Amino acid sequence: MTTTTIPVKADLTSKVKGRILPPLVTGQEYVLIGIIVALWALLGVFTPAFLTAGSVVPLLVAVAPVALVGVGMTFVIITAGIDVSVGAATMVAAVVVAKAMVALGLPLIPAVLLAMAIGGVLGLINGVLIAYGRIHPIIITFGTANLFMYLGLQIFGSSTVNNIPSTFAIFGRGEEGRTLGIPHSFLITLIVLGAAWWFLRHRPSGRHLLAIGGNENAARLAGVKVKQLLVSAYTLTGLLIGLGACFTLGMGTSTLDQGVGVGRELAVIAAVVIGGTSVLGGRGSVLGTLLGAILVQTVTSGVTQLGWPSQLSDLFVGLAIILAVGTDIIRERARKKTS
Amino acid sequence: MSASTLTPIPAAATKAAELPLLQRIVRTLLTQRVALLGVLIVVVLAVMMSLDTAGMLSGSYDTDYLASTLISAVPVAILGFAQLIVILSGKAGIDLSVGAVVSISGVVFGFSYGVWGLGLVPAILLTALTGVVCGAINGYLIAYIGFPPLIATLATFYALKSLAMVVSGQRPINSQTIQDFYSAARPVELPLIGQYLPDFPMAVFTFLLPAVVLMWLLLNRTAYGRRAYAIGTNDDAAKWAGIDTRRTRLIAYITAGGLASMAAVVIVAQFASARPDAGTAGNGLALPAITIAVLGGVAITGGIGRVAGVLLATLLVVWLNAGLLLAIPGNPGTQMQLLAMGVMLIGAALLNNYASKRYGIVK
Repeated sequence: MTTTTIPVKADLTSKVKGRILPPLVTGQEYVLIGIIVALWALLGVFTPAFLTAGSVVPLLVAVAPVALVGVGMTFVIITAGIDVSVGAATMVAAVVVAKAMVALGLPLIPAVLLAMAIGGVLGLINGVLIAYGRIHPIIITFGTANLFMYLGLQIFGSSTVNNIPSTFAIFGRGEEGRTLGIPHSFLITLIVLGAAWWFLRHRPSGRHLLAIGGNENAARLAGVKVKQLLVSAYTLTGLLIGLGACFTLGMGTSTLDQGVGVGRELAVIAAVVIGGTSVLGGRGSVLGTLLGAILVQTVTSGVTQLGWPSQLSDLFVGLAIILAVGTDIIRERARKKTS
Repeated sequence: MSASTLTPIPAAATKAAELPLLQRIVRTLLTQRVALLGVLIVVVLAVMMSLDTAGMLSGSYDTDYLASTLISAVPVAILGFAQLIVILSGKAGIDLSVGAVVSISGVVFGFSYGVWGLGLVPAILLTALTGVVCGAINGYLIAYIGFPPLIATLATFYALKSLAMVVSGQRPINSQTIQDFYSAARPVELPLIGQYLPDFPMAVFTFLLPAVVLMWLLLNRTAYGRRAYAIGTNDDAAKWAGIDTRRTRLIAYITAGGLASMAAVVIVAQFASARPDAGTAGNGLALPAITIAVLGGVAITGGIGRVAGVLLATLLVVWLNAGLLLAIPGNPGTQMQLLAMGVMLIGAALLNNYASKRYGIVK
C-alpha cells in the first residue's frame, strides 16, 4: 500500500512545483504583443506620421496614468475585488494639489507627496470598509465614488482652478517631460510596474494576494493575513491614483475643470481585463495591464490619426475587450480539458 | 404523526411573538428592506414638509411638486428593474451597459419617430427591438460563452456608447415631432377623479405602472420568475433541478436591455430631445441604477431582490433629491445629492451585513 502511494505523491509535488510560477510572458501577453505590433505596423503604413516621436511620445504619456493606476487595479482585481471610485479619487487628488500649487506655490516633490497622501487616504477608506465591513467591493466603491465626487466638487467650488503653475510639466508631453526622448511619466510607470511584477511573482505577500483571489477562505485558513493585504491593495491603488493625478495635471493646461478623472475607472478596468487578469480573481499580471493600456491608447490615437470620428475609438475598445477576454476564456477552457 | 411535524412551527412563531414590541419593530426594519424604505420615505417627507412650513425651502414641497418630480423617477425605476433582474440572476450579475443602451435606443427612437416619420407605436417597437438585441448580445456573451458580466457589459458599454455617437454624428435629434413628444412627460389631470388628486406626469401611467406590474408578474407569478431566483440562489442546484440556466440568464439580460430602451423613450420625452449621450454623459446612468437596486435590497450575490424594494428606493431617492434641491438651491444642492446617495448606499450595505449577522436572512 505505502510503496505505491509514495511515488505518486512525489510525482504530484514535482509537477505542482513546476507550475507554481507562471512563465515570464504568458500566452495572453504574446497575443497582445502580436496585436500591438501588427497595429503599429499597419498604422505606420497608412499614416506615415504614426511611428514618429511626435506621435509615439504623446501616446506613451497618455498610457502612463492608466497603466500606473492599472498596477494597483491589477492587485485589487487579483484579490477578486474591484475599485470603481478611481475617477472620483483622481478628481479629489487633482483638485487639492492644483489648488495647493496655486495658493502656496508648492514645489514638485511636496506636491507629488501631497497627491499620493490624498490618494492613499481615500484608498485606505475603501480598503478598510471592504476588508472590515465585509461588503462586496463594487458596492463600497460605488458608494465612496459618490462621496469622493461630492468632496471633489465641494473643493472645486463652482469654478475651474486657473493659473496652475507648470510644476508638473516634467510629467508632460513637452521637452522638459523627457530624458533621452523617453517621457518621465512612462519611465516612472515602468519602474513601478517592474517592482509590482517582481513583488507579485516572487514575494510571499504577492503570492498571498493571488491566494486570496483564488479562495479567500482557504487563504485565511492557510494563515494569510487577508484583511491587512486587502487594505494594502486598495491603499496602493490610492497612492498610484495620486501619482497618476500628477501625470494628468502635467498633461493638461494651466486650467483644471470638473471633468478631470471622469471615466478613468472604466479605462483602467478595460486595460486590466484586456491584459488577461481575471475579474474572478486569482490570476493576472501587471505586464498584461501595461500591454492592455498601450493597446487601448494605440486604438484611440490610430482612429484620430486615420481621420475617423474620434468617438469610433470606443467601439474598437469594446471589441478589443471582447476579443481579448474571449480568447482567454477559450484558452482557459482548453487548458482545463487537457489537464 | 401530524402533531409531531406541526409542533416546531408554532413554537418558532410564539418565540417571535414573545419578543417585546420595540425589538420586534427593530427586527422588522432591519430584515425587511421594504419596511425600512417605507419608514425612511415618511421621515424624508415629514422633514421636508416641516422645513417647507418653516419657510426654509426655496419652493413649496407639496403634493403637486412631489407628483411632478415623479417624471425623473420613471427612468430611474425602470433602469433599477433592469439591474434587479440581472443582479438577481446571480454569477456576479451586473449590467454596466444600461446607460449606453439608453443612448443607442434613444437615437433609434429619435430617428424612427422624429426623422423617418414612423408612427409612435412602430417607433417604440423598433426602439424596444434595439434594446432587446443589445441585451441579447450581453446575455449571449455571459450565459453561453462564459464572460464575467462585469466585463461583457463593460465592453458593450464602450461599443454601444461609441455607436450612438457615431450614428447620430454627435448631434441630438430634436425635430418638431420629438419636441412635441414632451407632452408624454407633462403632468396631466386624471379623468373622473383627477380634480381631487395632484397631476401626475403621463409617463407614470404609460411606462412606470406597466413596468411595475409586468416586472412583478414576471418575477412572482411566472415559472420564469421562479427559475430566475433559482439560478441566482444556486446555479449548480438549479442546473441539477433541470433548469436551463443559460437560457434563463440570457432572458434576464434581454429583459434588462428591453427595459433600458423603454427608459430611453421616457428620457427623450423628458428632455424633448434624443441625445446620443443621454445615458453616458458624465458618470452615466448605470451608477444610479445599480445604487437604486442595492438600496432597494437587491443582494449583489444574487437570488434576493423585490420589485417593491426597487420602487420604494426610487421614490426615496427622487423625493429626497427633490427636497435637497429646494433646501440648497443651485450647484451645492446637486452635489449634496451625491453625498446623500453615497451615504445611503454604504449605510444600506453595512446595515444589511449587520442584520444578516444578527437575524440571518435579509429580504
